[in-house]
Amino acid sequence: MSAGRKLSWDWFAGTIPENVIVDETAYIETTFSFQFFRSIRPGGVAYGRGASTYLGTMFDVGPQGRVTLGDYALVHGARIICDAEVSIGDYALISWNVVLMDTYRVPLNSHERRKELELVPTRLLRMACADVPARPIRIERNVWIGFDVCVLPGVTIGEGSIVGARSVVTTNVPPFTIVAGNPARIIRKLEPRTTLPHAPT
Amino acid sequence: MSSTQHSPINGWPCGTLPLNVVIGANSLITGELAFKRFHSQLEKALVIGAHCTMDGVHFDLGKDGRLVVGDYCYFTNAVLLCELEVRVGNYVVIGWNTTITDTDFHPLGPAERIADAMACSPLGKGRPRPKVLTKPVIIEDNVWIGPNATILKGVCIGAGAFVEAGSLVTRDVPARARVLGNPAQVIGEVS
Repeated sequence: MSAGRKLSWDWFAGTIPENVIVDETAYIETTFSFQFFRSIRPGGVAYGRGASTYLGTMFDVGPQGRVTLGDYALVHGARIICDAEVSIGDYALISWNVVLMDTYRVPLNSHERRKELELVPTRLLRMACADVPARPIRIERNVWIGFDVCVLPGVTIGEGSIVGARSVVTTNVPPFTIVAGNPARIIRKLEPRTTLPHAPT
Repeated sequence: MSSTQHSPINGWPCGTLPLNVVIGANSLITGELAFKRFHSQLEKALVIGAHCTMDGVHFDLGKDGRLVVGDYCYFTNAVLLCELEVRVGNYVVIGWNTTITDTDFHPLGPAERIADAMACSPLGKGRPRPKVLTKPVIIEDNVWIGPNATILKGVCIGAGAFVEAGSLVTRDVPARARVLGNPAQVIGEVS
């Protein structure tokens, strides 16, 4: 992990932050994804074997936030708003314009929120970053999330489940379940059988 | 208009603001596409208060559109489509990829829609468009609107309301209500 890691194919003149762990088989389309990355935790983002992130994926990660991408996880343009922990399991597939947020970044109480909004224009990076409780998001292995989906703070999506496009997931999703809708509801169950093909080399 | 005096760090660093934009002290607009679809001919078509952060917002104003934003507002990558009037109060947060519109864009009647398709086509030069329903959108003080939300025409969102991520708001939201869903429903209250 040397400082100033660049990507030869990158259109954006950025580098991979020092505390981001990238497996040698992982793929990052562009370092633009780290424009709002502010984590100081070791492994602020950790890419597993064959994990990949593409254009539109934004790691909007606060100082104490941490995002993990499992083996073969494919993130095709999610906005990951993380002040605690967002974990994405092995073989997870995540579509474009998905929002995974473990925090609201502003207080729920409108009086408290006003104080935070008065601070935003005084910061160099004009962002909200109030010290409000964050609740980790867990996307387990083999989960497929459709486009435009929002996953709200504290949600766990169980192994092998599918979230239909444009759904808003407000509560935990059991394993091997299809959910859809806004708010998301259970549509049906899936066969919990997962025979693994041979891993690519 | 002479009120567009801003220091280099304020205003819109990407270019020269249209003359009918008024922006308050210490407010910042970012993004090269902010005014790509800004067509309003009105005087003071876009008025933004002081201490606002408009990060990557699209100000898509039609020729008669007017958009007024209060102080201390914080919008990220919102798409604001305004043919008539959108009024936003103070201390309003609008999350990433949210759309707000005060128009239906096209008529509801099938015959009128055919006429509109023709008028909008490259062959429709000079042909008048049929009437399209527009109704002002009002967002009162202290409202929070999450990412991926949609606010449709004629909606008034009451002071302090909390619109959850991904909500599609078709009707008025009472003050301090917490709404969620498609269509958005009241699921609770915030303090």
